[in-house]
Amino acid sequence: MRRSRKLCVLLACALVGSLLNGCGGNTDQPSGGELAIGVTSFADTLEPTEQYFSWVVSRYGVGETLVRFDEEGELAPCLAESWAVSDDHLTWTFQIREGVKFSNGDMMTPEMVKSSLERTFNLSPRAATFFEPVAMEVDGQQLKITTSEPVAILPGSLADPLFLIVNTSVDDSIFAMEGPVCTGPYAVESFSPTNACVVVRNEYYWGGDVPLDRVTFKCVDDQTTRSMALQTGEIDIAYNLKTENVVEFEGNPDYRIQKLESLRSTYAFMNQNGVLGDLALRRALIRALDKETYCSVLLEGGATSGKAPVPPTLDFGFDELSDENAYDPEGAKALLAKAGYIDLDGDGFVETPSGEPLDLEFVIYTSREELNVYAQAAQANLRDVGIRVTLNTVSYETLLDMRDAGTFDLLIWNVLVANTGDPEKYLRENWYSTSPSNQAGYNNPEVDTLLDRLAAEFDEDARRTLVMQIQQHIMDDAAAVFFGYETTYLFSNSRVTGVQMYPMDYYWLTKDVALAGVHDA
Amino acid sequence: MNVFQFLRSHKQFTLFLALALLVVGVAIFAPVLAPMDPLEAHMSDSLHAPDSRYLCGADKLGRDVLSRVIYGTRTSLTMTLCLVAVIFVAGTMLGVLAGYFGGIVDGVIMRVADMMISFPGLVLAIAIAGLLGPNMVNAVIAISAVSWTKYARLARSMVLKIKGNLYIEAAVVTGTRTLDILTRYVVPNLITTMVVTAATDIGTMMLEIAGLSFLCFGAQAPTPEWGLMLNEGRTYLAKSPWLMVYPGIAIVIVVVVFNLLGDSIRDILDPGQEA
Repeated sequence: MRRSRKLCVLLACALVGSLLNGCGGNTDQPSGGELAIGVTSFADTLEPTEQYFSWVVSRYGVGETLVRFDEEGELAPCLAESWAVSDDHLTWTFQIREGVKFSNGDMMTPEMVKSSLERTFNLSPRAATFFEPVAMEVDGQQLKITTSEPVAILPGSLADPLFLIVNTSVDDSIFAMEGPVCTGPYAVESFSPTNACVVVRNEYYWGGDVPLDRVTFKCVDDQTTRSMALQTGEIDIAYNLKTENVVEFEGNPDYRIQKLESLRSTYAFMNQNGVLGDLALRRALIRALDKETYCSVLLEGGATSGKAPVPPTLDFGFDELSDENAYDPEGAKALLAKAGYIDLDGDGFVETPSGEPLDLEFVIYTSREELNVYAQAAQANLRDVGIRVTLNTVSYETLLDMRDAGTFDLLIWNVLVANTGDPEKYLRENWYSTSPSNQAGYNNPEVDTLLDRLAAEFDEDARRTLVMQIQQHIMDDAAAVFFGYETTYLFSNSRVTGVQMYPMDYYWLTKDVALAGVHDA
Repeated sequence: MNVFQFLRSHKQFTLFLALALLVVGVAIFAPVLAPMDPLEAHMSDSLHAPDSRYLCGADKLGRDVLSRVIYGTRTSLTMTLCLVAVIFVAGTMLGVLAGYFGGIVDGVIMRVADMMISFPGLVLAIAIAGLLGPNMVNAVIAISAVSWTKYARLARSMVLKIKGNLYIEAAVVTGTRTLDILTRYVVPNLITTMVVTAATDIGTMMLEIAGLSFLCFGAQAPTPEWGLMLNEGRTYLAKSPWLMVYPGIAIVIVVVVFNLLGDSIRDILDPGQEA
């Protein structure tokens, strides 16, 4: 029994070996090879309109949008070749690229683009938070989108993976488990949510040769295991590794380390529908946290310490914003005492003014190691001022459900703040009073008004001022704990070429990613 | 005097009993022994290497590892002893009932037991702990739920053997109450074996608890617990090995001590049984 299994393994190795040789030796063939990429599990399904699962479809090189972001975070043409806005700022015209085919061979027409966008608006509650079209019309190779209010960031919105173009002429109920039919360089071969997703070359890709035959995205949620998998060669690229992994790869020519001060913000929602509805408690909580130390010491510079919704990497007046809730443990204690939070039973933790025990549930998720560091450090700091915090560690998918259900006191969130190339949508999604994603009960009419004005404002300077005002309100209302803005790392085996980090991290596997030995052969 | 003689004639037992008492002592006197508060974070000393101030180094949040290991004895020991007590009492009782009454009682209890052992133990425990929500009490419940079967099956088979004896029949004939039969004639005849099993189980159970905590289904941060500390240290293995080394050593020492103590107890109480 054992012998036969060994034989099988040997045979398999020999087969794989000969396959690789075949690809490498012949220069006439399109270069090939297979690649494994270590990722954290993120999506239950591949249905792009569910939650944020479209990000995965885009990252895995499957889905593409009309407009994309380049390495600098600027808008670049993708499935649309160009775009323009009418003089009244209400109608945007997109010139749809000709000759693009879906991965099943169907031609992508402007009508299909239109029906894909309509599908997104029908199915995703998040879509309307970007913009609401009153009309979409096809005119030759052009798609015209009309809105009732001017939307300054409409092209950037369409670059969000939520609006990736799917083939609506096929049965879309299979998208969830078998992957959507899109136009990207790769197409889904198989998908199992917490295990792996395999993509293969899209034979009909419009943008030139696709170098790799097959790419496997392996879910390796544990950071240490992911790092080890990269060291053993089980995977060739590892996403989401952190500063503490640098020591394992630094100075080793077999690996390439890329680093980017990202546009990601890590913060914790404070649920105002619970005990955290009390502004004094929220203020005291933020003041108790030594975020500077978390970022510079605990994360070893893996993040910049936070205070405002938008990180300093984007110029929206980070340094000009005044933070009244900076680190001040004594002030926090005084604030608590003044508001009636007193330790009645002598256990070292305060009770609420009505005498109830105070125990805040802090929900974090497992796939990002630094969240655990933030949460535990916060727990330790809050213990010093007498606030009891209980950590609840769940999977990312569970966390999404808990956020939507509003069952938390504090809930960690790590998000790209400029998902449309601009923080407007991020601010609106999280802090507009009626946004479906705002389950923490934040409601400030003034912020709503400012957000509405921002949506229709086309002037850059005026937008900056508005964003600053909104940020200041959110900070003054102590709406969330802004822990820090992370520095992202990308570790890859040096035999892989063309791996590029983007400020908008929608693009992981692109047509440029190839294997060095195989490609050059 | 008797005690003294007993201890002298069982040197191995005495040695391990002393060591076990030492471990219990560490747990009880943790506040005196620990140089620092195990929960107090000195964040500027994050991952501080072992030196004269932090004898075993400091963890990510700058908490003293030695103090956490010492306090961890409390958590691990309490949870383990509770767990062993629960499965010992529950398992033995169910086994005795099943064995003595037979019929439908036996059928129900043993089929449930069969169900429990048809799953891999720790996997089922993870599932139960996951369902109940991760905390220490639930971890104990989860492991109890999968571990009581061993005691039940052992007790049942022994009861079946004892039940065939003439003195039981005599007791029944003379009209002794069932409860009296159980407590006076049945239980005393099987309790030695059960105690030996429980004593040898302490080490294993401690490992299972630590295992569950390591997988984040047991003790939750910031509780100082060895399994959890191992998990927290894992990320920094290359850089700060002391985060894993010291809790690891603590687990090894305590598990070995309790295993050897269990062996010695078995040697004394049950000399006939093979290892």
